[in-house]
Amino acid sequence: MILLTAFVVAYPFIDRALGFQTVHAVSDGMIYVLLALGLNIVVGYAGLLDLGYAAFFAIGAYAMGLLNSPVLGSPLYGHAWSFWLCIWLAAAVSAGLGTLIGAPTLRVRGDYLAIITLGFGEIIPVAIRNLGDITIEIGGWRPIERLNLTGGENGVNPVGRPYLPGVPFETDPMPWYYLILVIGALSLWAMSRLQDSRLGRAWMAIREDETAADCTGVNPITTKLLAFALGASFSGFAGSVYAAKLQAITPGAFEFQVSIMLLCMVVLGGAGTLHGAILGAMLITVFDRVILAETTFFARWVGKSLGVSWLAAVDLTLWRWFFFGLGLVLVMLLRPQGLAGRARQPARPAEIDDRVDPAPTAAPRREAIPAWLRERVHAQAGDGAGPILQVRGLAKRFGGVVALNDVDLVVPRGGIVGLIGPNGAGKTTFFNVVTGLVSPDGGAITFEGRSLVGLRPNAIVGRGIARTFQSIRLFANMTVRENVLVGEHCRLQSSVPGAVLRPPAVRAEEARARERAQSLLAFVGLGDKGDDLARNLPYGDQRRLEIARALATEPRLLLLDEPTAGMNPRETDTLTELIGLLRRELGLAVLLIEHDMQVVMSISDRITVLDYGTRIAEGTPAEIQRHPRVIEAYLGTGYEPDAIAPSGTR
Amino acid sequence: MLALADVHTYYGSIRALKGVSLTVEPREIVTLIGANGAGKTTTLRTILGAVRPAQGAVTFNGQRVDGLATDRIVRLGIAQSPEGRRIFPRMTVMENLEMGAFARADHDGIAADLERVLTLFPRLKERIGQKGGTLSGGEQQMLAIGRALMARPSLLLLDEPSMGLSPILVEAIFKIVQDINRQGTTILLVEQNARMALRVAHRGYVIQTGRIVLHDAASELLRSDLVRKTYLGEK
Amino acid sequence: MEWWEVLVQQTINGLTRGAVFALIALGYTMVYGIIELINFAHGDVFMLGLFISLAWFSLFGISSTLGLWQLVTLLPLVFVLTMLSTAAINVSIDRVAYRPLRRSTRLAPLITAIGVSFMLENLALLWKGPAPIAYPDVFPSVDILREWFGVDSAIFITTKDILVVGATIPLMIALNYFVTRTRWGKAMRATAQDRETAQAMGIDVERTILVTFLVGGALAGAAGLIQGLYYNIGMWWMGYQAGLRAFTAAVLGGIGNMPGAALGGLVIGFLSAWSDQYISARWTNAIVFSILILVLVFRPQGLLGDRTPEKV
Repeated sequence: MILLTAFVVAYPFIDRALGFQTVHAVSDGMIYVLLALGLNIVVGYAGLLDLGYAAFFAIGAYAMGLLNSPVLGSPLYGHAWSFWLCIWLAAAVSAGLGTLIGAPTLRVRGDYLAIITLGFGEIIPVAIRNLGDITIEIGGWRPIERLNLTGGENGVNPVGRPYLPGVPFETDPMPWYYLILVIGALSLWAMSRLQDSRLGRAWMAIREDETAADCTGVNPITTKLLAFALGASFSGFAGSVYAAKLQAITPGAFEFQVSIMLLCMVVLGGAGTLHGAILGAMLITVFDRVILAETTFFARWVGKSLGVSWLAAVDLTLWRWFFFGLGLVLVMLLRPQGLAGRARQPARPAEIDDRVDPAPTAAPRREAIPAWLRERVHAQAGDGAGPILQVRGLAKRFGGVVALNDVDLVVPRGGIVGLIGPNGAGKTTFFNVVTGLVSPDGGAITFEGRSLVGLRPNAIVGRGIARTFQSIRLFANMTVRENVLVGEHCRLQSSVPGAVLRPPAVRAEEARARERAQSLLAFVGLGDKGDDLARNLPYGDQRRLEIARALATEPRLLLLDEPTAGMNPRETDTLTELIGLLRRELGLAVLLIEHDMQVVMSISDRITVLDYGTRIAEGTPAEIQRHPRVIEAYLGTGYEPDAIAPSGTR
Repeated sequence: MLALADVHTYYGSIRALKGVSLTVEPREIVTLIGANGAGKTTTLRTILGAVRPAQGAVTFNGQRVDGLATDRIVRLGIAQSPEGRRIFPRMTVMENLEMGAFARADHDGIAADLERVLTLFPRLKERIGQKGGTLSGGEQQMLAIGRALMARPSLLLLDEPSMGLSPILVEAIFKIVQDINRQGTTILLVEQNARMALRVAHRGYVIQTGRIVLHDAASELLRSDLVRKTYLGEK
Repeated sequence: MEWWEVLVQQTINGLTRGAVFALIALGYTMVYGIIELINFAHGDVFMLGLFISLAWFSLFGISSTLGLWQLVTLLPLVFVLTMLSTAAINVSIDRVAYRPLRRSTRLAPLITAIGVSFMLENLALLWKGPAPIAYPDVFPSVDILREWFGVDSAIFITTKDILVVGATIPLMIALNYFVTRTRWGKAMRATAQDRETAQAMGIDVERTILVTFLVGGALAGAAGLIQGLYYNIGMWWMGYQAGLRAFTAAVLGGIGNMPGAALGGLVIGFLSAWSDQYISARWTNAIVFSILILVLVFRPQGLLGDRTPEKV
């Protein structure tokens, strides 16, 4: 690492000594590295395929060009501090554009989003080209005649240079090299800080499973928007330096191919890691600038020597896009995680043989309940006497099918309520409506006296409801501890400046968050597995982790969707004990959907039964087991005894 | 005809079937009943090859079929009326029925079977040119069964045919199921509506959280209290 | 020209453009309907259609306007050969680049498709050079209004316009017949509507996908040939622009919906012609892409499509 840094710092001197004269090219390459790092935030961290990234590059370059150039008479031009101010302004403009573009479009599905970004990537160069000569004519009236906003096809020229006393930023490549190096190093530092922060974890969670992240308290829209805007701002930085270095910018430098070349860098190196982005950028730049040319010389030499005429005249630099395209295809087919990326796999299925527990995990004990959790939950519990969750007249229709029909349900404070019903009864739809994933067609949902209708899932988590899923939805490629930390997301405060600068308050918050995560893991019995990847956990542990993650959001009501699905009897007992413990010690209310009747009957205070979206019964377990309508719903009616003659034995 | 031996299947990371063994003899109606989430549909999906069992074997007419692609398994003589009907919504009733016979090449046989199905389900004949998505729930169920019959299968898998249907329609459907069986088709019927299924079947298996917990002649199961207790969790 | 003559002329232009866009858009929409992939390389298959048809013409030694006899025999032959060539190319692309990624995320094959697109464009560049290539004036261009009807008008309708319409309509009719009446066509529709159930009917899904790429590729090839005959010029980068406009057409009509693709193609054809005339050709791309963005954000199911919701 240190060797590499030393090499990089000393490179221009080495180059001068050896007479390579490559420093200019290398500096340009470093600008591309900076761009790749920015794209890595969007594609690698947040998982948004951006095919129009060059547009932000263009915006940055043009912002610098227009603000710091005499072409349009900018007042900012010509001062010693011009460049240093404009670089930040350009980044801000890019970030602003990123937010503007992102806000309406980030809700759209992944592949459509990619095409939309491509669309913007096309529109912006067209706009730049054509806004150099705007004439608007209405009837015979010309309010605007030959207005030049962007320099049009000719671009902007000249662009103001940076000014540092004693350092000439002219044709000598060295000062540029070091300027870009410093900017690059600062960007890297900022990004690595971001990666390992509350925001970085949120990005990764969204990339892993957006719905689960939403239901764990992460707002996917604002988080994605931040990625988009930050990625754009890095691009803006790079663009403005590029403009100053080149002294002239034209629209032709920002076409679709540039966006794709940047995508190649990120994909080849490994989206989602800093090393990957740098590696990819360097490899592609070296390939593009050096290897193609050198190989051409070699091929021509071979051709001349062997007398093969087409080989002697070949020009491999014309093949660059072919190789980039080929690179994309090969990487996707052979190594989709890129050279430096971590192989991303879904969670693995549990062990086949469940009769032998590898190492039976201890049942949670009341002493192990983290004190902070006890405090927080009790502090926010309030002392209302009413039920914690009250649902009245809930209705939901999907097309012509009635999923929920005027359903009432009450969960008392500290109560455990079971929700059962035959297939298609609407139980999961009920959960989805309460947690905000689906909006109801009618009815009221009040939690601790306040309505939940219309709130986003992550906001509902913030109010104090946490949920688990039928098929476990963990963040498979994040560690166990990180999964729990994402749970704490909605209870932590730090944002972008805090993540990068890390003032003492933020550091303290992170430390506290980690302590709490550890204590939760210890409580559910995963204390020594904090650094394992979630996808490598055995099945029972995965369920435990899901619960730990849910507890990290400091809920007062837990919604459990078939928590014992797939568990063996021993694990089922452990889980049942845990639920009871949570209720007794923390006063947590629980609403659970369950198909294992023995579990539901033994643990619930009361049970609500749904059938075809309608509540057909409500009462204690004993009452429900004898309830004729429930029996009918599950087992079917007898109908008229003679309508169908039993087939009998053969 | 069909045999599952100690089949373990995963659904995501959840073990949905934990050692399921069952058999279906020719010309029988066997029913597999249990509460939802117990593994009934996973069993059918395993038979049809939509999921591969992690352990165990599925044999059809003596041939191992676990691991084969669905379309190959189907050509061996198994057809399905899926859970939720799953007819092709933008194709007409006629086209849906044609799709059922896709794997066959004998045009005369197909025409004869088409007649047979339309006689069995006169309502479908009335709506022969209508798009599948516009049919009512009961009509869609008839179409799903009819479509499966168009394959002239030796084994017919019915997945929850009663779901979403009124009691009268359920009776009608189950009567037809008996007729089909009498005409020679072996049937594996998966149902949540235990009583109806047990009336119609010869033998029954009760599945609970991925395991077979009861297995007996259908009349015995009907008589005993065990099924109710299993469904509603009494010990 | 009077203002209405301009309008009529541009509308005719729009029609001929629209027909070509419709043929390309159908390929996009069929593939998307069946495997939910935006086949980014499809526009380049269209471009290759033009280049390959040129090669077939040279192979037969044709470089000047065909006589009537040749029009009836050689032209259909070149059509068929070109369509077969592009069909084969499209299928190969699927086999090599998309099929291994069937079970992957939705984005991985899209990235691969972009890679393939670049490879094809670069190959065309290397094959014929960077400059636009001249396509011989194979199809006779006769001013119909003047020479056949004796009408003296500023509006210019030629036999080439008849060619476009005359080639496109039978293709669409044939496609419609294929999709609604034949076994493979129905298998395609069934697979697009419910893949798992289609398999349970005994439909070999992979083979059905192959047929989809075959048909889509053939249509793109036909479009390329028509384009060459009409405009007499071809560029190695034309696939990118035409592809994006045709994709916009497919999305506008409702992705996955075939009549929608044809309708969308016509609409985009008209819009682009009117935009070229009344606003400026420099802005047409921006306008078309703006339509694309607006549709994807506000009405992703397009004009005729059904909404396919994400499952939770």
